[in-house]
Amino acid sequence: MSGFRLSSGGLIDRNSMLNFKFDDKSFAGFEGDTLASALIASGVHLMGRSFKYHRPRGVISAGASEPNALVELREGGRREPNTRATMIELHEGLVAKSQNRWPSLEYDALAVNALASSIFVAGFYYKTFMWPKSFWEKIYEPLIRKAAGLGTASRDPDPDVYEKSYAHCDLLVVGSGPAGLMAALTAGRAGARVILADEGSRLGGSLLFENEEIAGQSGFEWAQGVISELASLQNVILMPRSTIFGWFDGNVFGALERVNDHVAMPAPFEPRQRYWRIHAKRAVLAAGAEERPLVFGGNDVPGVMLASAMRHYANRYAAAAGKAVVVFTNNDSSARTARDLAAHGVNVVAEIDVRRNGRIINVTGGKGITGVELTGKQKIPCDAVAMSGGWSPIVSLMCHRGAKPIWNEAIAAFIPPDVGAEFTAIGSAAGHMLLSECLSGGARAGTLKGKVAAAPECRDEAYAIQPFWWVKESTGKAFIDYQNDATAKDLPLAAREGYGHVELAKRYTTTGMATDQGKLGNVNAIAILAEASGKSIAEMGTTTFRPFYTPVSFGAFAGPFTAHHFQPTRKTPLHDWCVEQGATFVESGVWMRSSWFPKAGEDWLASASREVMSTRNSVGLCDVSTLGKIDVQGADAGIFLDRLYCNTFSTLSIGKARYGLMLREDGIVFDDGTTSRLAEDHYVMTTTTANAARVMSHIEFCHQVHWPELDVQYVSVTEQWAQMAIAGPKSRATVQKIVDEFVLDDETVPYMAAREITILGGMKARLFRLSFSGEHAYELAVPADYGNMAARALMQAGAEFAIVPYGVEALSMMRIEKGHAAGGELNGTTTAGDLGLGKMMSTKKDYVGRMMATREGLLDPARQTLVGIKPVDRSIKIRSGAHLLNRNAAPSMAADQGYICSVCWSPSLNMWIGMALLSNGANRHGEVVKIFDGLRGQHLLGEICSPVQFDPENRRLHA
Amino acid sequence: MLRVSALSGIIRQGRFGADRGQPGVTLSLLHPLSIVMVMARKGKGPDLDAALLKLKNVGVRWAGPGQYYVEATGLADDTLYSDLKTRLRDIASVSDQSHARVMLRIAGPKARALLSKGTPVDLHPAVFATGKSALTQMAHVSVHMTRTGTDEFTLSVFRGFSESFWEWLTSQASEFGYQVS
Repeated sequence: MSGFRLSSGGLIDRNSMLNFKFDDKSFAGFEGDTLASALIASGVHLMGRSFKYHRPRGVISAGASEPNALVELREGGRREPNTRATMIELHEGLVAKSQNRWPSLEYDALAVNALASSIFVAGFYYKTFMWPKSFWEKIYEPLIRKAAGLGTASRDPDPDVYEKSYAHCDLLVVGSGPAGLMAALTAGRAGARVILADEGSRLGGSLLFENEEIAGQSGFEWAQGVISELASLQNVILMPRSTIFGWFDGNVFGALERVNDHVAMPAPFEPRQRYWRIHAKRAVLAAGAEERPLVFGGNDVPGVMLASAMRHYANRYAAAAGKAVVVFTNNDSSARTARDLAAHGVNVVAEIDVRRNGRIINVTGGKGITGVELTGKQKIPCDAVAMSGGWSPIVSLMCHRGAKPIWNEAIAAFIPPDVGAEFTAIGSAAGHMLLSECLSGGARAGTLKGKVAAAPECRDEAYAIQPFWWVKESTGKAFIDYQNDATAKDLPLAAREGYGHVELAKRYTTTGMATDQGKLGNVNAIAILAEASGKSIAEMGTTTFRPFYTPVSFGAFAGPFTAHHFQPTRKTPLHDWCVEQGATFVESGVWMRSSWFPKAGEDWLASASREVMSTRNSVGLCDVSTLGKIDVQGADAGIFLDRLYCNTFSTLSIGKARYGLMLREDGIVFDDGTTSRLAEDHYVMTTTTANAARVMSHIEFCHQVHWPELDVQYVSVTEQWAQMAIAGPKSRATVQKIVDEFVLDDETVPYMAAREITILGGMKARLFRLSFSGEHAYELAVPADYGNMAARALMQAGAEFAIVPYGVEALSMMRIEKGHAAGGELNGTTTAGDLGLGKMMSTKKDYVGRMMATREGLLDPARQTLVGIKPVDRSIKIRSGAHLLNRNAAPSMAADQGYICSVCWSPSLNMWIGMALLSNGANRHGEVVKIFDGLRGQHLLGEICSPVQFDPENRRLHA
Repeated sequence: MLRVSALSGIIRQGRFGADRGQPGVTLSLLHPLSIVMVMARKGKGPDLDAALLKLKNVGVRWAGPGQYYVEATGLADDTLYSDLKTRLRDIASVSDQSHARVMLRIAGPKARALLSKGTPVDLHPAVFATGKSALTQMAHVSVHMTRTGTDEFTLSVFRGFSESFWEWLTSQASEFGYQVS
């Protein structure tokens, strides 16, 4: 037992004891503890095993940079691997387990890896790729995966909910130490909208554990006063437990608020975490600085700790890291540790300062420290070592948009780059090591306009450092990057093997990877690499900083958009009617469409086939509400449509509909549909379901960019209308029964008519005589709130004709029987000519895609064009995706003649039929080709025919 | 003829979510409504603005440059549409959207916090004042949003998305406790 709880002090509530379990063993701590501090106070230093060598590891830091004390927190679906014990707020009933050890933390069988450590040096992972080749998959990879790695994720669903939210402010303050508090207070008092965010469980930053003096009070007292004043200001939002993890374009910051990570289980209706997007007019980085470890033999033995962390545990948590402490430093700040520990009655055995009295060569001990060995062979028994290698400003956020930090010789650290006035650094994050500079910087940054506010008086402590990177006399392993088990020797090795560039060395040695992203070790690594490469640190530079500053769980990214809510669901106005009719639905984009309407015992094919036959024999009703509908109005509406479509609409008579084909700029077919003219200056366009939104964007773009001079207005009316197709020889008789005082015949409603009528005693409706099925058919549109009512009325009207509802499967069968192109054919590669629609392309006007459609390649007679196809052996099923070859050709890419794009069982023709794109297809009707389906191992003969396989004379359309 | 809202059978009245005294928000379906989109003809923006100012007993909500939703309650189908078509002849194109959109009212002390979970629009009253409208997106759904009071907003979405949107809205309102009226 090397640690203990100090008898007084600390920001813990000794009246509130909390019980928790670590590796199934029961412990107790206090309200205000972290898991790490409670374990230290309980004498537990061994908290994990290292990544490669499975060395015993203890806690190094007291904050977000912790590389070693990673645990699996909670159990079941809430289990969260790689959680930093230094950031976990202790709560009653907390359960945590150590990671990467087997069978136990105390006795890890894989610690034998350390004996073979010579093979685990830099690049070992890559070297396993090299030789022998077969070893990689069978031996190395499974072994490495088992031996290395961190915690394991739960396979159970996460029972908690996550949220997303947006916030806006004049000033975002990142970090709530002295600089951040001063900035927030200054801006807040001036009435600005301020957000103060801090990753810690309570606001105050370093003032929660450092002994400072500000405005005649202790630093802690001053901070409490400022925080309560900020809390009283309506214009200030305080966000503790919130990590600003990234800086993005437009001065947008990402933040993760750990709303309920500090309790065992969120209260009902509350999220565990909230993912924020903060839009800040200005932001200040007041994230402080990170203390660096020193690199010496055994600098990872549990009990070796950052000097600032050791006083943090003593001052804030009343937990002493040991009973006999040696301090090892190259700068002035560690004097605070010696002073504070002594004040708490902890025995500081020695202060070893590289500037004065030597170096620690090795730490002795395994799972705990027994002593240190100094230069000159002197040995000092101790049970804890506090180390300080200097301070690195936490520059990460300011480098997220590509700027690189700048080396500063005076403090031997990288300081933030100048990224403009929108985002500035203050305090120790800017490399200002004096408290007075932190406060004055905060006051300056918080003054958004007018005269800079005054900062309070404070006590400064001088800071000086002598750069010192590596105790080269060490014989034990000297770690640079604890989390990746990278040692000081790995970096010169990387340089020798040709990976001396800082980015290459990172990948080669894994230094700076994984959950801590080199927060502690990178500067030491860069310095050692620079020396090995004969460069200065400034020349070597840093690796690239990217979001995320600390790990963010996938749950927070997904927010509430999981499972059923992954994307919104869009229902048609006829959805309830479809449900009543027993529809099976299919997701079509976000739409739920009725797919087929099975009767008892029917599978999808039997159901859809029956729906087709009933429709062709009598009458069927289909929900076609998902088709895009766009109102196009204005004096120039006709001209506008002429330019959008390859065919002409300005000549369309009022009360008529016309099929239109739209091309992309490159001459390829974009979309199709019928557009009707309701008045001189009023058209209603229909688009395919899939392209509705894209067509709307295209229309907006064309009007706003190409032809802003046109007087045209447009708006989606897709959702205003419930639309039904009524098809079959009895469609007219059925529709007639619900129409008000109006006789339907070929005079009043001829083929391609578009009429505004009323039905059911005054309900406004639009009636179109259109057919996708090849039957005499209508489309009836009614205002959406009346959709179900109208569909029910049609079912009643058609009862005497045995009307059936039909779904998109039957719709698709009928359109393939009739050779109508749809998604499989309008696939982004076909021209109007390819689809047999070349004659629609007007020669009398200009339109989008006209010029590019005349390119040689698009007019090549060998292009694959639309044909029908059927199996020579009528009993065999053909499948879409199969390729077409000349009858006797051997399969090869060069011999490819085309492919089948749509296939269905044709109930009307009693066989499988399809549509295909075939080279020079229009001239090959009657030819027998080879259908090559390599994917499914099916090869058969097919006969090419007209795409219109059913009722080629279109007699039924006019029946 | 009875208009049936897309949310009929979906919305249940009552008190839901966390119980911390007064509900954080009250959600109401505004149905039936007359909603008509008016879009200024080329160069007729000022004429349209002037004509809209003369309208009585309607709400006029900005919905894009030269575009407005005109909203009214208690009118028979088609009345508002026909009326505006006549009044705004040659000034604006008019399109009936009464059935296309489902409108909800969100009121209460947590209304702003609730909507901030969906929209990137800054809802501070100094920025988005009473009477202002915005075209925005929440939960992957396009939303037309209007501030109708200090703590009161209306949202309208395409009819087909309304059920999905309602599920999202109520799940996000749960932590505040909500009343459906």
